[in-house]
Amino acid sequence: MDTFVQQLVNGLTLGSLYALIAVGYTVVYGILQLINFAHGEVFMIGAFGALTTSLVLFRGQTALWVLPFMIIGAVIASVGTAVLMERFAYRPLRNAPRLAPLITAIGISVFLQELVRLNYDHVPFTSWNPLNLPDAKSRIPFPQIDVVTGPAFQIGGVTIQRSAIFTVGALLMCAALLWYFINRTKTGRGMQAVSQDADTARLMGINVDRIIVVAFALGAVLAGIAGVAQGLQNNNIDFRMGFLAGLKAFTAAVLGGIGNIQGAVVGGLVLGIVEGMATQYIPGQFGGSPWKDVWAFVLLILVLVFRPQGLLGAKAVDRA
Amino acid sequence: MIRIPNIPESVVVKHGSKAWPLGLAGAGLLIIGSLLSWNYDPQVLGDLSISFNPGALQIMAIAQSLLAVILLLADKGPLTSLGQWADTALALRALATWALLFMTMVLIAITAEAGGLVNIEPGGWISFLGAVLLFAASRLVLPKETRDLAQARLRGWAEILVIVVLMAAILFGTAYALGLTDAWEFVLFLMLVTGVVITGIRAGLLSWLGHVTTRHKHVLMLAAFAVAFLFPFTQNGSDANMSIASQVLIFAAAAMGLNIVVGLAGLLDLGYIAFLGAGAYVGATMSTSAFATIGWKPPFIVVMLVGACVSGTLGLIIGAPTLRVSGDYLAIVTLGFGEIFRLTMFNLDGNNGPNLTHGPNGVPAIPDLTFGSFNFGDTHTLLGIPLARFSNYYFLLLLLIAFIILVFSRLNNSRIGRGWVAIREDEKAAEAMGVNVFGLKILAFVVGAFLAGLAGTIKAHQDVSVTPDQYIFLESAFLLAAIVLGGMGTVAGVLIGAVILKLLPEKLRFFADYRLLLFGLLLVLMMRFRPEGLVASRRRQLEFHEEDEDLAVRVEGDIAEVVI
Repeated sequence: MDTFVQQLVNGLTLGSLYALIAVGYTVVYGILQLINFAHGEVFMIGAFGALTTSLVLFRGQTALWVLPFMIIGAVIASVGTAVLMERFAYRPLRNAPRLAPLITAIGISVFLQELVRLNYDHVPFTSWNPLNLPDAKSRIPFPQIDVVTGPAFQIGGVTIQRSAIFTVGALLMCAALLWYFINRTKTGRGMQAVSQDADTARLMGINVDRIIVVAFALGAVLAGIAGVAQGLQNNNIDFRMGFLAGLKAFTAAVLGGIGNIQGAVVGGLVLGIVEGMATQYIPGQFGGSPWKDVWAFVLLILVLVFRPQGLLGAKAVDRA
Repeated sequence: MIRIPNIPESVVVKHGSKAWPLGLAGAGLLIIGSLLSWNYDPQVLGDLSISFNPGALQIMAIAQSLLAVILLLADKGPLTSLGQWADTALALRALATWALLFMTMVLIAITAEAGGLVNIEPGGWISFLGAVLLFAASRLVLPKETRDLAQARLRGWAEILVIVVLMAAILFGTAYALGLTDAWEFVLFLMLVTGVVITGIRAGLLSWLGHVTTRHKHVLMLAAFAVAFLFPFTQNGSDANMSIASQVLIFAAAAMGLNIVVGLAGLLDLGYIAFLGAGAYVGATMSTSAFATIGWKPPFIVVMLVGACVSGTLGLIIGAPTLRVSGDYLAIVTLGFGEIFRLTMFNLDGNNGPNLTHGPNGVPAIPDLTFGSFNFGDTHTLLGIPLARFSNYYFLLLLLIAFIILVFSRLNNSRIGRGWVAIREDEKAAEAMGVNVFGLKILAFVVGAFLAGLAGTIKAHQDVSVTPDQYIFLESAFLLAAIVLGGMGTVAGVLIGAVILKLLPEKLRFFADYRLLLFGLLLVLMMRFRPEGLVASRRRQLEFHEEDEDLAVRVEGDIAEVVI
């Protein structure tokens, strides 16, 4: 029983992270029918934004009050990236064939990874490093914060990491705020309108371009927070972290029904729990952590085959 | 594309008559300057320091000015009969712009390499002045009406001769470029080639060549393969460039296979490298390497077929369920599949699963291929020229590419190919017209996978070892980029794209670090400014520029010409 609860806790932690990132995919897809492949990199840049804030402003500080500043730094970095990306890469392609934005997204993804890898520790094309930042070619230790990292809690036979509580808490808070934003604010209702019918929404006086930027930014806020959570959980970050996390989060979004925000949250949690359980309960050589990513992708394929609209989705999925 | 704002109309009208003498003077100065020495230091840019003994770069400059003289004479003078076909004004503008860029780059290179502007001798400045004059003159030349190039015909043998000369130029140009070890010289040579090609495009030469090659399609194909076949003989037994060349061919073969899936059927496959990997792993595990895990050692031709079939079966397994959901989902599923493949190969190391692939270490020490007594690892001498290991693989791969191109073009021009195009353009309409959408999609997927499997088995032997990290997502992205860069659905475009993406990083070591950064940027910019690729299939071009009425008319004209 303890192992089951333990895997459930692990799965929920992992799933909360996926859910935070998955919202970004789903919000943008709901409005533009665009898979923002580079969203994983937004998450990665968020983590680096938090790291930079901590290293530049509060080097060596581990007090809890640093955490809000790190989150703000992460959100500024990730939102900035996402908005620039939308403005300069995706907006010009809005009426292009569907292949074009997808290929652009791959390009952005590679570009952002390399930008961080090559240039994080110095101003581009020089060796000048005014902020004394570490080299990003390998893993960089993420700052540890009192209270949210440190010795784990033991409840019965179950170990609960402090950072796991932070991650799940972040998801709960974000989900509540997101629900409020979407359903109770003018912009949020505008987003709903645009996702139902962009042309009619435009006729009703909604600034569709602005709504699209808001959608990108909204996803980026959550991805930035996820970046901090990931850093706290793994104790280190690197420029590659966005790729796999992005792919998993996309899986989660599809699992829940892409375009559906509750779906993304549910899908993330389900995917996390499935991964946790697969690690523990698939017998023989094909169980265990080396195979957990494989099972996650197998789940993605199975969902697309048997329930392409996802767990909570109702929309017909037949987009050319 | 470099665009320079036009000079006001009034200036052109007033000074237009001076363009011709000014241009000739500029070209003359460029030649004279290039005959003199450009710098003091004989170590820089291959020796440019001796007067009346022009180095390679100086000969390039002279060639540019001679081309400019020809264009000027075609505009007004003894060659006007040529000028009524070619758009000399636009061509001259392009040529002069690139000549100026070339000379500027030369001066920059000398300054950077020898340390300071003082190292440039008067000859360099004279050449630069000549390029500036030529540039000024080219802006004053007035454009004029030209005749329709479709009517410009030479005798049959002369047109074939043109193709042969062109192919010979490509052969020796490539061999020369590969022989350049200095990065500056390589870049400058590329600038020369780019300038000349753009001049050709502006003059209408390329569209004339297009007409000629459609009239002599088989000659072109034969000539292209003859050039590719002769390439190893230009290397004098050196295997360094042949190693790059055979890497390029493997890459091109895979890209051509992917081109069937993406370019013809319009199915975005982001895990294509897995099919190449499947073939390579079959080739490796069934080889006679001490680390091979499968006991059955059939002849290589059987291994190739097994590899291709395994790969094709994987394509069927992944395609059959997922091809029903179309579009973006397919991209993600194939991406997921690519990751599954890599992780599986990584995990089948004996600890986490049955030992098939030795996990992260892969299968090393794969022996060279042997056909009868012919060992691919040995050096064979043909016509007095030694052909070493990579040359042997090069020839084998050339055969493979020929086969893939054959499959590609036969499918493209058949009922199946037209079905694919119909699906790509509008799936619902195609289905309504009775096209077997699902069957054809599966076929595209399986054929693509099959061809990649064939290439993979050879790759295993050529690379000596097979490891999971050769088959990461980035490699799939590179293959896709080759197609996008070159032009989806075309043969020539994809070959050019593959050559550019594989060759440039090998030659330009100094930007090795920034390679991926530039690659990402390139993809974004291509999609933004020229989504149809460098060599655009006309139909594609129309797809990306739907509002362009002129283009639509031209495309219809071209299609009509082909049909006739």
